[in-house]
Formats: sequence, C-alpha cells, structure tokens
Amino acid sequence: MYTELNSILNTSPESFTKGDFILLSDKQSDASFLIHHFLSFYLRAKCKVCFLAMVQSFSHYSTVSQRLGVSLAQAKEKGQLVFLEGLQESLSILIPQDEHTGSQAMNFLRDPKLGLQDLYEFVSSKVKRSCGGEAESEEWGPPVLLVDDLSVLLTLGVTVGAVLDFSHYCQATICSKLQGNMVMLVRCDQEEDEGDNESPACLLKGLTHQSSLTLDVQGLPTGYCRDIHGQVEVCWQRRQGDGQNTQNKLFQYKVHDKGASFFARGTSSAVL
Amino acid sequence: MDSVRYSGRQLLKSFVKAALNREETVHFIGFEFSEDELRDGLKGPFAKRLHIHSAFTDPLGWTDHPVFTVHQFNAEEITHLIKQTSHASAVTLVIDSLSWILRHVSPSVFCRTLQQLRKGGAVRAIVGLLHADMHQKGIVGSVCHLATSVITVAPGMKAEEAEAKITKRSKSGKVLQDEEIFVIKEDLSVIVQGKSHQTEPIQTGPEEQKMDPTANLTFNLRLSDAERQAKENLSLPFVFSKEKKTALLHSGPSSGRILYEPDENDDYDQEDPDDDLDV
Repeated sequence: MYTELNSILNTSPESFTKGDFILLSDKQSDASFLIHHFLSFYLRAKCKVCFLAMVQSFSHYSTVSQRLGVSLAQAKEKGQLVFLEGLQESLSILIPQDEHTGSQAMNFLRDPKLGLQDLYEFVSSKVKRSCGGEAESEEWGPPVLLVDDLSVLLTLGVTVGAVLDFSHYCQATICSKLQGNMVMLVRCDQEEDEGDNESPACLLKGLTHQSSLTLDVQGLPTGYCRDIHGQVEVCWQRRQGDGQNTQNKLFQYKVHDKGASFFARGTSSAVL
Repeated sequence: MDSVRYSGRQLLKSFVKAALNREETVHFIGFEFSEDELRDGLKGPFAKRLHIHSAFTDPLGWTDHPVFTVHQFNAEEITHLIKQTSHASAVTLVIDSLSWILRHVSPSVFCRTLQQLRKGGAVRAIVGLLHADMHQKGIVGSVCHLATSVITVAPGMKAEEAEAKITKRSKSGKVLQDEEIFVIKEDLSVIVQGKSHQTEPIQTGPEEQKMDPTANLTFNLRLSDAERQAKENLSLPFVFSKEKKTALLHSGPSSGRILYEPDENDDYDQEDPDDDLDV
C-alpha cells in the first residue's frame, strides 16, 4: 500500500468510505500497480477480499505483495482472501481433464453469449459466506471485490453489455447491500471509435457512470521518461458525504521496487 | 442528458422534488441507484406521494424475487403498476436511467413504449435521464426527437456550477433554445445563475507593468548615452551594407585586380564531356 496515495484519497486502512466502487483505468500505460496497492490496503484493513485475477498468476501477485509487506498465501489460508486464478481455471475448461470440469465461474468461456451471471453467482456466494454469521468469519470486515482486469473479458468474447450488467449486480450486492467496496481495472489501448459499441472505451464510459471514484492512469503526453512513469487523474464521481463536489486532482507518479511515489506535476525529485 | 464529466442525477432528483412540491404523484423507476440512495434528500411530508420501483438489486431477474426488471418495461406493465398504487390523478413518471433500458431493449421498442405511455393517459409527464456518451448518436437523436424538452448538462467553469443547454419544443411547433448556468443546493433546489457567455474571455485585467530585466542585478547591463551612440555607429563585419557593396564593386586604386582567362579544362560539361554534341 502506498502511503502517499492514501493521503491523496484521504483514506487509511483504519477508516475508509464503505460502499465505494473504485474504477481504475489506463491508456497506454500500466495501472496494475494500483491493483497491488488496493489489494494490500484492504488486506491490511482486515476486509474479506475476493480477487478475480484474470491476467496474472497467484505467484505474481504474491511476490509483489510480499514486497509491500503482505502475505497472500497466509491470507488465503486464513480464509481472508478468496483468489480466483482465471488463467488456471480457463485451462481446465478449455482442456478438460478427467472429471474435473472447473468451477462454474468461468462458464462464459464455453459460451460467451451466456453472459457473466455464473461469475456473479460465484462472487456472490464467496462474499455472502463471510456475512453468513459463522463464528470465524465475524473477524473480517466488509467484503471487497477486486477484478484485474475487465477488458480481458471483452477479448474473450463477452459483450460490453454483459460486463456492465455483471458490474451492476456486483455493485448492488457488494457495495449497496453489504456495504463493501469494489475495485475494478479496465484497460483501453485503442483510440476511441465513435461507431464501435464494443470497444473498451465504451465499457469505460459505462463503468465511469456507475463508479464513485475513478483513477485514470496515462503515460506522459510528452513521451517516455525514466523518472516519471506517468500521470494519475483522480476524479470523484459522486458527491461526498458532506455534499461538496470534490475537485479532480492530477498527479504524476513513479513506481519503485517497494512502492510508488506520487507528486504534484513538476515536482518530481529528479526535476527539483 | 448527461455525460461522464457531469452527472445529471442531482438535477433529476430536484425535478422529482419540485414535482412532489407541486403535489403531484411521482413514480420513480430506478435502475442505477438503490432505493435508500434515491430517497436521500427526498424525505418530507410529500414522501408518501413518491413511489419508488427499484430495479437496482435485480434488473434482469437473476435472483428469484426481483422487484422490477427491465423486461417489465412496456406500456401495459407500467400502466398496471401505476394504477395499482395511484388514484385518478395523472402521474409523473421518472426513469433513472433510460440508458440502462436502452442496453437491453431495442431502440424501436423503447421509443414505442415511451410513445404509448405518453398517449396512454395514465402518465402525465415522463422525465428520464440519458447518458449521452454511452450510445451512438443515432439512438440519442431518436430519443431526443421524442422528447418535448431536452436539457443537456455539462460541468461549468467553476466547481459548483454546471451549464445546461435547453431545447424546448412547444405544441405549436416553435423551438426554443437556451443556455443557462445553474447550481444545485444541498436541499435539491436549483438556482439559475444567468446565461452562460458564448466564449469566456480570459480575464486579462489591467496589463501588468513591464518588468525591467536589467534592474536589481549585481552587474551593470545598462548602456550610457555615449555607449549607445558608439554601438549604433558600429558597422558589423558580415552585414552587407550599402557602403560595403560600393567598396567591393568599385575596387579602390590600391586594391588588387583579378584577371581570369577561361581555361579549356575548366569548361567541363557533365552532359557533354567530349564537347561534340550539337546542343
């Protein structure tokens, strides 16, 4: 977890707004460092985390989280972390071996037109179990859903509408009913095409309407820089509790081995 | 009509509140927000005239007991729903949002339903929120065509303000267009702050006094009058002034002269090396 980002967003593992849908997006850059931040943030906040990891393996996240001071293997053992490794699950569906047909969650791979209802059922069952009133689950805080990333579902044949429905249902269940949080990553690399209804840009717009906070990561407009890896624009979509519209903020960042630093534009330590 | 840059939901809620204050019955079909969030700010003695049909928790019928699904969006079901809870007076139907429905219902069916509701008689007015950037221009255009008034909102110059472009079609066929700046207060009242300027000129203000760069230095960069004179009189070595030209053209008596007689070897023509072409 990056302390500077916490102060920008005005949150901490001890106190953060509940019922938030945080949307991470990137364009010609890589926002996955934010996924690692939120993963370690919510694990430290003792929330029950359900992580749908579609693009990387468990060991990848585990290694990075180790550097941030959180052990995913331990969290998984204790039951705090539910990890759906999309890459492995998809293999067991595409190449069925013996009787093991894979969990129902990735059913959309069999027929993308079915939509993501099965994935939603999976998430909902894992998340509701934490609030089922069992003794050992009471020690965890509100449930959190992390998805890395949604745009890969588009490349697997799922329509934008189906993904928006999935995120709507997740938001209704997790954010609204269970007062938990949701963090989703969308990557859009293509230029926006007016006529294209199935592009990641269209998905991003739909999700932005649903979200309460968006963090948009982009490369610097002037090109590659060794000391500044890009810029992050933080937009609060919904009014905060006190009714004030919080201003949008723009920061530049640099990713290190053990974290990331955020600074106002032009104040990078390499420049000053 | 709103976009990702500015959400029109607060304005929609202020329309609801205004309708309730006018003692109208309002039926709210909400897809995008939960019922509690919708009721926030709409409490009061008139709240019993507000009927919320929440399609937020299960709009597609994925669970066993949905309250309202998108498949119920047709004239018969909605009229039935309204007649169940309302009395004789016509009702204002508010939909949040039309974009949600358009994702699941074809545009032609959607427009037909809206038209049927309008002509049906059970509904006096329909107020809907559409996210203009989520649909293709054709669909947005068709929905706007059905509407008698279209209000497009965008963020304003200052933080709290927003701009609204209003197009109103009256029954006589006259179309009024207007642009206004407004602010929505916490109690959902809308305060119109006047017309927006066509192009906001950058406030230049009185021109700042030109800063003298040669002031406050530890060394002297200024020139005294004599120095300035000498500088202006100096002729630069590589500037081809009139005097230099005449000096070169009419070479003085003591300057050397160059005599040149063309040599045959110098007259080498690339295109005619043997010099025998009749060019």
